[in-house]
Amino acid sequence: MKVFHYIRNAVSQLFRVYCREFTLVIHDPGLLLFIVFLPFAYPVIYSLIYNPEIVRDVKMVVVDHDRTPLSRELTRRLDATQGAWVTGYAADLGEAKRAMHSHDCYAILEIPEGFQRKVDGGETGNAVMYCEMSLLLRYKAFLMAATDVMLDMGGELQKRKIDDALPMGSSYISDGDLLPIHNVAMGNIESGFDSFIMPAIVVLILHQCIVLVLGMSGGAKREKAYLIGYDPYNAVRSVGLTMAGQTLCYMTLLFLPMIFLLHYVPLIFAFPMESDIVALFAFMLPFFIAAAGVGFCFQAFVWERESVFVLWVVTSVAFLFLSGITWPLYGMSPLWKGLAYCLPSTWGVEGFVRMHTNGATIAQVSDAYTMLWILAAVYMALGYCVQRWIVRPQTLAARRGANVVRAAIEGR
Amino acid sequence: MKPSGLKAVMTVSLLEIVRRPVYWFGFFLLPLFLFLMLANMMEEGLPQKTPAAMVDKDGSSLSRQMTLNIGGMQMVDLRYESNSFTEARHLMQEGKIYGFFLIPENYQADLMAGRNPVITFYTNMTYYVPGSLLFKTFKSSATYSKAAIVSGALESLGATEDQVKPLLQPVDIQCRGLGNPGLNYGIYLGNSFIPCVLQLMIMLITCFSLGQEIKYGMSRQLLRRADGSIVKAVFGKLLPQTAIWTVVAIFMESWLFKYNAYPMNGSWLWITLSEVMFVAATQGFALFIFCLLPNLRLSLSICALTGILSFSIAAFSFPYESMYPAIGILSWILPVRYNFLIYIDQALNGIDIYYSRVWFVAYIVFMLLPLPLLPRLRRCMARPVYVP
Repeated sequence: MKVFHYIRNAVSQLFRVYCREFTLVIHDPGLLLFIVFLPFAYPVIYSLIYNPEIVRDVKMVVVDHDRTPLSRELTRRLDATQGAWVTGYAADLGEAKRAMHSHDCYAILEIPEGFQRKVDGGETGNAVMYCEMSLLLRYKAFLMAATDVMLDMGGELQKRKIDDALPMGSSYISDGDLLPIHNVAMGNIESGFDSFIMPAIVVLILHQCIVLVLGMSGGAKREKAYLIGYDPYNAVRSVGLTMAGQTLCYMTLLFLPMIFLLHYVPLIFAFPMESDIVALFAFMLPFFIAAAGVGFCFQAFVWERESVFVLWVVTSVAFLFLSGITWPLYGMSPLWKGLAYCLPSTWGVEGFVRMHTNGATIAQVSDAYTMLWILAAVYMALGYCVQRWIVRPQTLAARRGANVVRAAIEGR
Repeated sequence: MKPSGLKAVMTVSLLEIVRRPVYWFGFFLLPLFLFLMLANMMEEGLPQKTPAAMVDKDGSSLSRQMTLNIGGMQMVDLRYESNSFTEARHLMQEGKIYGFFLIPENYQADLMAGRNPVITFYTNMTYYVPGSLLFKTFKSSATYSKAAIVSGALESLGATEDQVKPLLQPVDIQCRGLGNPGLNYGIYLGNSFIPCVLQLMIMLITCFSLGQEIKYGMSRQLLRRADGSIVKAVFGKLLPQTAIWTVVAIFMESWLFKYNAYPMNGSWLWITLSEVMFVAATQGFALFIFCLLPNLRLSLSICALTGILSFSIAAFSFPYESMYPAIGILSWILPVRYNFLIYIDQALNGIDIYYSRVWFVAYIVFMLLPLPLLPRLRRCMARPVYVP
């Protein structure tokens, strides 16, 4: 009977915290902003920025010292590629440089004199493309264009010349391309930038949303009631149950935003979607708990509601880079790799991206899944310590202080 | 009587910065940590040894030779040998490899018989950098193998080596990256993202420090201390911050261009001037936002939003001319965009200052932006209302 009584008591405490937290959130426009604006508007704005996906038609100019049919053919073919756009000819390198410095072009192709003569004479015709290196995607567009043109033109010239040297020689080797090489991009099949970065960003937005909400609500609990317009106190005897109640409350509140972020944002912007949504949510459960644990730990540093902005917003950049989506984890030094392994965002991004874009099953991301559960346990345990020995004594003190002030004001 | 005037405001403002840990984090710890992290993480320039797999279904001398060739490339680490496409795909889904190279069955025999066997390589473009690096490695090794095979075949048909050599590559276009020939990822990323971190922190701290006055109702006291002048109040409040941020910005400059030895092909004078003006311009931009929304939480939200969106919208990675015009145009309203453009012109490319003149003017516009709104701020400071 004692056990039964204990359970009933615990459930009632949990329920009290859970319900009270809802009331607090509704009274706090700051929290509402995080729960509504951040997960609904932010990913849409972000996706729109990169939505063109591919860098097309980057401007370049040509300095053609050769002026032969072959050099013009080379220029035409470059212009016809997806990546490059030949905006015009420059008379000499000086003029081309001036165009580049005035930001009118981002690459200069210089075709030397005697280009066609060399090719016809059986030598290699060399051209040089000078690329401006401020943005790697522009360089990549030029590099791909140049490689494609080089291989295409090379293949055709090669065939013609083999036939010149050995009549019908090319047909001995093959009847089409001498040796076809194909590339298949997996996951992000069109190699788009939006489809590459957004799945990671979406997970990070969710992570930051959870931590910011918990941070701000923790800050509010130390504010004076008259200042924020409501009594932020919400705690029952048991620290663990208070934390559980609050986590459950935010889980309920963020459930719809989570569906929007993880399912509808990829749907709207046509990112690769290979995963099963049920498996995805199973995967995100430990992620949510771990992020909430981080939030509870973070509360130790938040003395007022608004300082979450100063203290936490910039960490998004760190988390993005530590997640290994841009700079891969295997290429990091042990220090950064170690730090990255301690963050729920790293494993959340890793698992989500692999499931969502590469079509992995939850069993195939078991490394990330296991790590998330471990991190959830660790951060919740740390969070418990923070709540028990730092946050709770301070909120109680703040409340006592407020009561004294109120008593003094009311003349008791 | 308490001391008043610009000096008094500055002293109080400085004391507050010294006293409150949140400012230590905002001014120093967080920015410096990110400076260190972003530059140090990409120290190698490009990640070496991308894990990959080989699916050799042929098992001939030729396919083994190709495996050896690819395995010897600098950028790739052929960690696994898979028996089938499915097995390799599973390795990719488990995150163990970022791409694989598939040689089909009977490759050598088909090749010799002229049946055009196809070599396919698969790269996981979900991870852009490793995917692209593998693409490059696989493509070039496939091209080399192709050249070797073609020349072998031609020589067996009776062509001499002199005839064969130019046939392999009739046209060659060399791509030369100006200023960053090694395609160092750190140079490209550090020079854009690190100033953007600084911009975010400057904006947040500016609005936070001003908003605090209104939140706790101290703004009236501030105005009184400033002899009722909003200009004195705001400048007194922000000038000590300008001084600190300038030191941080100069540190950032030396961290990037001296310590990490990122390319610096122009004049130090212009870059230093750019960093100093960048600090003031960003403060001006943040003050403008605060004057529009003199509410601690809302102004901080807007600053956080613009600050974080700046990393994408200022077109550091995705060129602005490729964005939708309606979005791309927003890149011009961010101070960090001009910092980036000046860095490109003056440090990376080292061109004449004439080409960057407009960017410097933009800084000045940002500095002047909040001035017409100061009377509005004065009204709000005189009657502080805290909206939670």
